[in-house]
Order: sequence, then C-alpha cells, then structure tokens
Amino acid sequence: MEITRRVFLRAGGLALCSFGLDPLFLNRAAYARRAPITGRSGQPILICLFQRGAVDGLNMIVPHGDALYYRERPRIAVPRQEVVDLNGYFGLHPSLGPLKPWWDNGSLGVTHAVGSPDGSRSHFDAQDYMETGTPGRKSTPDGWLNRYCSHQREHDETPFRSVAFGPELPRILSGSAPSLAIADLHAFGIRAGSRPASDKIARAFEAMYEGAQTGLLATSAQEGFEAVRMLKSVDPTRYSPENGADYPRSPLGRTLLQIAQLIKADLGLEIAFADVGGWDTHVNQGAGDGQLANRLRDLSQALVALATDLGDRMADVVVLTMSEFGRTVRENGSAGTDHGHATAMLVLGGPVRGGKVLGRWPGLDPANRFEGRDLAVTTDFRDLFGEILARHLGGTGLSGVFPDHELSPARFPGVIKS
Amino acid sequence: MRVICVLMLAGMAGEATIPGSLPCQSMAADTSSSSVLTARDSALHVLNRLAYGPRPGEVERMAKAGVQDWIRTQLASDRPDDRALARAEPRYAILDMNPRELAARYVEEQRERKREKERKETEEQPRMEGPPSEGRRLAGELQQLAVIRGSAADFQLREVMVDFWTNHFNVNLQKGLDRALVPAYIEHTIRPNSLGRFEDLLIATAKSPAMLFYLDNAESVAPGAEPPSRRRWGRFPSPERKNQPKGINENYARELLELHTLGVDGGYTQQDVINVARILTGWGIARANQIGGFEFHDWAHDEGEKVVLGVRFPAGHGMDEGVRLLKLLANHPATMHHVSWKLCARLVSDEPPDGCVDEAVAAWERSHGEIRQVLLAIVQSPEFWAPVARRSKIKTPLEFTLSAMRAIGAEPDTTPRVAQAIARLGQPLYLQASPAGYPESQEEWVNSGALLQRMNLAVALAGGSMPGTTVDLDRLTPVTPDYGRLLDAIDQALFAGTMSSRTREAIATELKDEADPERGRALAVGLALGSPEFQRQ
Repeated sequence: MEITRRVFLRAGGLALCSFGLDPLFLNRAAYARRAPITGRSGQPILICLFQRGAVDGLNMIVPHGDALYYRERPRIAVPRQEVVDLNGYFGLHPSLGPLKPWWDNGSLGVTHAVGSPDGSRSHFDAQDYMETGTPGRKSTPDGWLNRYCSHQREHDETPFRSVAFGPELPRILSGSAPSLAIADLHAFGIRAGSRPASDKIARAFEAMYEGAQTGLLATSAQEGFEAVRMLKSVDPTRYSPENGADYPRSPLGRTLLQIAQLIKADLGLEIAFADVGGWDTHVNQGAGDGQLANRLRDLSQALVALATDLGDRMADVVVLTMSEFGRTVRENGSAGTDHGHATAMLVLGGPVRGGKVLGRWPGLDPANRFEGRDLAVTTDFRDLFGEILARHLGGTGLSGVFPDHELSPARFPGVIKS
Repeated sequence: MRVICVLMLAGMAGEATIPGSLPCQSMAADTSSSSVLTARDSALHVLNRLAYGPRPGEVERMAKAGVQDWIRTQLASDRPDDRALARAEPRYAILDMNPRELAARYVEEQRERKREKERKETEEQPRMEGPPSEGRRLAGELQQLAVIRGSAADFQLREVMVDFWTNHFNVNLQKGLDRALVPAYIEHTIRPNSLGRFEDLLIATAKSPAMLFYLDNAESVAPGAEPPSRRRWGRFPSPERKNQPKGINENYARELLELHTLGVDGGYTQQDVINVARILTGWGIARANQIGGFEFHDWAHDEGEKVVLGVRFPAGHGMDEGVRLLKLLANHPATMHHVSWKLCARLVSDEPPDGCVDEAVAAWERSHGEIRQVLLAIVQSPEFWAPVARRSKIKTPLEFTLSAMRAIGAEPDTTPRVAQAIARLGQPLYLQASPAGYPESQEEWVNSGALLQRMNLAVALAGGSMPGTTVDLDRLTPVTPDYGRLLDAIDQALFAGTMSSRTREAIATELKDEADPERGRALAVGLALGSPEFQRQ
C-alpha cells in the first residue's frame, strides 16, 4: 500500500506520537473517564453551540461581587438584585435564571476567563482559530472536531456520528472525516417532488453507486442512503417532545429539538454542532433587560427544553457553548461593549461537574487585564475542549487534534466528573 | 497509443512556439492494454481538465479538429478576446464600481442596519431573514459572475486558471473591508495575470488591497513607527482597526512563503518569516482617499538590513526591497516545485506523479515562469494522458455544477441561485476562510451529505426545476420513446461512450415504467448527471 505524501503529512505527526512517545498515549488511562461505548444508548454525546459574534461573558456570568464591574458599566451592568446568585460572587444573568435548577443539581458548570492565547479582536480570525483549534495559525485546513473524528476511530462509523445543523459544513467540522450538514432533518435525502418519485430516483442512484469501482464515492453514497433509511425508520415528521418540554420557536429552539430527535433515534450521534448568532452587542446591549437579555433568554429556554425533553438521556450528553472572544470590561459610548478577550463558556449535562465557576479568575483590576482593557484569558480554550474530548467522549491520542498544544490534565479546568 | 501519437503529431506540426519533446516515445513504453485513447476520449479528457466539461457536440468537434488545435488556441494569448464571454456576462454594476463606491454602499447599509437594530432591540424573538442586504446582493453578483463566466466562456482554460489562482491566492469576502476589495481583486489582479508570468501575478497580489487587508500586511509597521498625521480609516466602520498598529505582523509573510511561493517544506525558517515581514513593512493601502489602491508608506518601513534565505537585503532601499524579494521568491526552485505540484494536482491527479511536475518545473525554468509554457508542459507530459490519470479526479462542487450545466446546455440566469447551489454542495465562492484555499483532494469533497445534494441537483437541473437555470434538453438529445437510443445518446454526449453498464442498467430499470418519453428523457439525464462517473473527471 502506497502511503501518499499528503496522507503521511496529515497523519504522520499523530502516528509518530502514538508509538509510545506521546505522553498522552502513556497517560491514556488517566485521561479516559471510561472506555468509549460503541453501543447506541449510553454512548457519550457532545453538543457544541457557537455563539457567533462574541458573547459578553461578563453579563452572562456576572461578577456581581466586584464593585469594579458596576463602576465600569454604569448603564449596562446587571443590577445586583436582578442577578441570580451562584456563589456569592458570580451570578447568572436573569435571562439564564431558568437554568438555575441544573446548577443546583450539579449539571450546569461555567468556565470563566476562557479564550484564545491569540490576541486577535477580529471576529473572522478568532472564529477561525477557535474552529481550527490552532490559534495564530491560519493555514490549518481542517477543524478540530473533524480531526477528533478522524483520529478517534474506535467509535461506530455511522453517517450520523457528527452532524452540523445548517446549510453548510462549518469549519470546525470540515476535514477528511465524514460529517453531515443538515439544514432540516425532515428534508434530508433525495428530494424529487413526490415521495414515490423520490424513492424511485433514490433506488436508481443506490443501484448505480452500490458496485461502482469508486471506493470513496461508493462508500459515501452507501452511507448517505443508509442515513436516509435510518431517518425514515424514525420518521422525523412525527416527533413530540417529552416531559412537557417547550422549545422556543427560534432557530436555536428548532435546532435543539432536531438534535434531541436525533439523539433519541439512537442513530449513533456523537457530535452535534450549531450556530447561534446575535451576540455582537456594540450598541445598547441592555442590562437585566434588552438586546443581550433577549438572546440569553432564547438560549436558556432552548437549553431547558432540551434538558427536559432528553430527561435521563442527559446522563450521556454534554452541551458546550463557545464564543470567539469576550467583550470590553468597560462599556463604550453607545451603551454597548466592544471586542475584548476572555469570555465565559457554559457546560451542561449529566457528566458535568457542575455547580461551580471553574477556571482561575483574573479579576477586573486594570493591572490584570489583557492589554490593560479586557478580561484576561486564564484558561486556554483548547484545555476546556480537550478535557471534554478526553473525559467525556473518552478520546485518546488527542495530540493530533490540537497540534502545537500539549494537553495536560493538570491544565484541565475540571468541568467533567472524574 | 498509436492514436494519441498521431493526434499529437498532427496538432503540433509546424508549431514552433511549443517547446518540449512529444510524449510519444515515453507513451510507447506504457504497455497497459486498456490505454488506447480514441480521439473522443482525449477530447473528453481535455475538456474535463482544461475546461469545465464539454457542451453538447463539443467532444465530436474537438475530436475532428484535434485536441492540440484547441489547446493551442486556448494558450495563444495571455489575455484572449473572448466574444462568447462578452455576450454572456452581464454588466453587473459591481464591475464598474471602485472599492470606494462599494465601501460607501456598505457603510450606508451598516448604518441602516444599526438603526434597524436599535428599533428592534426590545423585540422578543430574533429577527428573521429579511430581503437580501446590499452586501449580500453584491456578494451574490460576484459569485454568480464566476458561474456565468465558467459556464459560458470560450476560453475555458483561462477561467479554470482564474479559479486556480483565486484559490491559490485566496482572500475572503467576509473579512471586513474585503467585501469592498475582492471584486477589484478578481478583475484587476487575478484575471489579467492568470496566464502571464507568475512573478507578475505574485507582485500584483502582494500589492492588492484585498490581500494586504486579508493577511494583515496593511497593519504591519516597523516597531515604533508612527504615521506622519494620525489619519483614520475614515467613515468606514471598522471597530477592529481602532488601534494604530504597533509593530510587524507576520501573517502575510508566513503565508507568502508557506502557501504562495516556497511551500511548507520550502526550507525557510521563522527568522526568514520575520525578515520577510520586515521587508514588506510599508506595503499598505492608501488611506488618504479612504479605501484607495496600493500605497507604500515610507514611515512604516523597517530601515534595518534584512537577510532572507541567505540573501542580504541592504538597509535603506524602501519598497525596492520588497520587489526584489518577490522576484527572488517567484523564481526560487522551491516555488517552482511547489506551484508546479499544485498545478499538476489540479490538472493531472490529486497526488501527481513526479514526471509531470518535473516537466512543469523545467518549462518554468526555461520560460522564467511563463504560466502558459508551464501549462503546456503539463498537458504534453505522458502523465497527463496516462490511463491512470483519466477519471481519477473527483469534481469539486464548482466543477460538478458547471460541467453538469454545460453538458446539457443549461444556462444560468443572473440571480445568484446557481452560486448558492454550489455553496450548498460545500464550496461557497470567495468565502473560504483559510488562506490555503479550497482543497484539491477527493477526500475533502466526497461525503454522504454532499453526495446526496449532488444527486438532488442533477435531478432538479435535468428536470428544469433548478432555480436560476433554464434548460432545453433538445440541445442534448431529442425526445424519443426508444429508451435504448436515448441512453446511447446520453452516453455519447456525457461520457464519450464510456458509461458503465451498471449505471446504464440502473437508468434503464427506472425508465421501464415511464410512459411519457419527455419525462423519461429528463429522468435519464438527471440520473446520468448524478451517476458516479459524472462525479469524476
């Protein structure tokens, strides 16, 4: 078998490390919380929500115990009496109040002051870095979630292993491992007017590709038709949420509802990804009410609906929010905030070591701020993401997932129970 | 083998400007029996690789006239006069607008959006999709223009090369100012240089505001340098640029070496990257007239001596240092190899054999980087014609869509619908975030979701229900109740007679109970366009 240069380059780094030189490999026992379960139910699932536009972490998880917070944000600070207190110093924005019961039962955790080691304040560059997992390096061809899938081969290869909800595959899931982009579960498959016409055409294509002398094409097509059949057997058009879950009628609500459907259908979903926009609050972002409050309300309602709907299945699920950077500590001239540095990320689910604000808190003192103005990053986002891959998904050999960054349990923020 | 030798000899007779030996001798060594290339096979191969696929009747015409004739015509000039293109391409306003006008439109739009946002800030639900914004509309025009050109141009090889260089020197419409800068980048930087000298193309991209902005070189200044007067970016709202740059930014320097020229294994060091960045300090965008063209800023230039790849750049030569550096890089052996390899990956196979790469490098050396000579060397290499190369590459979404449209004579309209369809297949034009551009390898393009989408597109296109296209299948083949004849005609038109029996049987099975021959034709064409062999080139 000829090893092509490209394949060697792509896989080489990992291969060399995995032959015993990689400390991760040696320590895999220390890493893996449990061996990956390749059965259906009981298999760990990660749902990533990307808050595009840079969410204001300081108004999402409010340091209400710090007078500086109120001094720097006279118009947009969340009033102390409105904050849903968590530990006497931090509190939830009131719009996130519906999530408090999950905090109390230990399945909602927060990592604060998390972000990128790169100082870019460009949405474009910072999103790119967060999706490729290589801050400061722009030429990385693939995303870290995809690299995880291509390195972690122990998982069942079902067409639904990694699914991005949206019309196009986002950068975080692009790469050589197969990933699905699904705009709408109900419309996935061959669409040719009527159902019989579609079935007829699907049948013809399937016959054509079945024995095609075209390895990759044949396998991919077979996966595709298998996916269509699997979906048909669960009939996504007849789904009603359980336990009285009430999804908001927003794009996020619809997306999380479809993710819940996929999870319950036991189609082998391991990673789901979705975007949620509207966080770039330069103008009139509001305090307890207003623009940001509305976006956060949508987020918490959708998360509450998901957790309610999934019920016991949340034992297998971790939801992670991420955002390219945070926003300025001080409010700007238009009662909003500008592009900053560190932000807060939420982690929700059964495996979460919740009820805690994790990560080292650098404080708001200007002397400790990044470039004198923004909340400093004390947790590299790769340590948070890496911990979830290692301890929740049971990933091993993750050095190829975050090249140039050595993952070490000592730097993990500790969001997953061990 | 005989056939191809005769063909090439006929084509080359009296062709003095085409250098290099004929491939016959080396081809003769290839004894594989399935490798007899008919005139139609070679026409189809050339049209698949050097064009966006054949249009109805084109394979026959080229087979008669000889592929070399076609290639010679395609490479006769570096700025061919393409009348078909001139007739087809709409005079989009975007082509006549300079970056300043474009920027002014975006500014107005942003203000409007801000007002809108303030009005709606107290609403409960997030705003739903409204009518397309000005920015989206103009981006759509630019993307659709690429579709129209690729599908209509007579000088197809130029369009293929425009796509190749646009991808090699990738920029992104979504990054701030680049929304206003990319149209001029395509029109004035890439298109005029796509068949010229690599050196000119490289320097043009280095000076282009789109690249200067995309890879941040416009931000790169010698440490401590201050502009003579603190002129701002003016009215263009750009919160990311509020701070004056404070030092060098290595971003462009790194990608220039890694992606544009030497390649990742090109033998440069981190110190080389830093020194390249220092040499290019001052290469910026004219701020005085807002979003102007290229401007060299003396005040920002690092005045020390620099050494790159062991070559000394004495202090104090300002912009000339950069020009000298770019010429050095453009003609460096590592660059010749890296760029030739990429060209072969596009035109020959994903993992091109050394032979064609070596031929390309030799032509590069001989011609000092004449792109047309390099292309010719690749096309004349035995590797280009080798049986193993034929049908070895999977079409990208752009290539698939354009070739499907061309194959059945479908015409795109001026709405961005076709460009949107290509985006849904995974290749939104001018929106690749990574400066590495879109990948060339099949692993990156073939996945189950995208493949189902391709099948849907094929069926919709042939059925006349793909938005943004008009189709007249009569141009391909007449309606006939004789499905055997129909399949023959489709096989000849789309595959030069090489349709697999499996594909043919699958289509024939579905045709059996189709009583309406017109619907039968659309079904058969749709299935053929979605077949595995049509995904290949």
